[in-house]
Amino acid sequence: MSGEGGTVESVVVTKTVRLLAPFVLTFGLFTTFHGTSSVGGGFQGGVVVASVVVTFAFAFGVGQTDAWLRSSRLRWLAVAGVYLVLLVAMGTLAVGGAVLEVTAVPLEKGAVYAVELVELGIATTVAATIVVLFFRLAAGSGAAADRQRRKP
Amino acid sequence: MSSILTIVLLAFLVVTAVLTAAFSDALAATVVFGAYSLGMAIAYVLLRAPDVGLTEAAVGAGVTTALLLVTIARRNRPDRESPFRTGIGVRSVAVVLALVAVLLATVPALPTVGDPGAPGFQRVAPYYLTEAPQLGISNVVTAVLVAFRGFDTVGEVVVVVTAGIAVLAVLDREEDP
Repeated sequence: MSGEGGTVESVVVTKTVRLLAPFVLTFGLFTTFHGTSSVGGGFQGGVVVASVVVTFAFAFGVGQTDAWLRSSRLRWLAVAGVYLVLLVAMGTLAVGGAVLEVTAVPLEKGAVYAVELVELGIATTVAATIVVLFFRLAAGSGAAADRQRRKP
Repeated sequence: MSSILTIVLLAFLVVTAVLTAAFSDALAATVVFGAYSLGMAIAYVLLRAPDVGLTEAAVGAGVTTALLLVTIARRNRPDRESPFRTGIGVRSVAVVLALVAVLLATVPALPTVGDPGAPGFQRVAPYYLTEAPQLGISNVVTAVLVAFRGFDTVGEVVVVVTAGIAVLAVLDREEDP
């Protein structure tokens, strides 16, 4: 075991993650935005995006990834996602519909745009929550390992 | 649903499920549980539920495993000689087998997979199937989730954030008593 955060630094693992990450990230965004016409949606897309970050953490070390991402800043993103969903839910009132009446959006394919905004909010919340929780738990594990090392 | 591949998949699911319960080592149980979730994801795809399959693969096999692994890394791992549980309770096994028997007894009453006459397809399903394409949303699952039952989904997003806040609060209290 070597490297930051107790990960095994292997060229095979880091190269593979570097190679795959853009494609997985694109797939996550595609799943989020294309949820209206194919498999997926905000929940699935958000988890896929978060899994890219988790894979980076396993390959390059939790500490290094967190230093680059500064995951504690992402807390506000999780809440921002909820506000985006609520904004769409209440926004339909402003255009003369009921709460969440997406068909009231006065645009061609208005319902699709409204639904995709909701999906974006869901994906933001899900991805940010998972990333924040992962780094918060992993940071604790690093500290615990340090305490154990110091003990004897 | 009776090809060799399906039988192999179902056998894999049963084996990984039993192993998850049989391992005493949390790390081994987590890894086997991840394999079980991956098998379940394939099973959902075979049952024509790709949305559920994608969720199971990403959440069950991916993120849950990662979160459990970092949680296990937080605590000391006891050194055991055997990775398996020593002495599985006879009564526990009897209760599990009885539960399996009760659940299997209900299986003949279920409609065939994909049966258009199934009760689940009779009431609101025809409405969703005709109305969703008119919204321009061809994935009916998304249409139900956001357009027809959006209020549930707003609640779910709030639940995700609330759960995250609760875990962060517990972790902060644990580390600064």
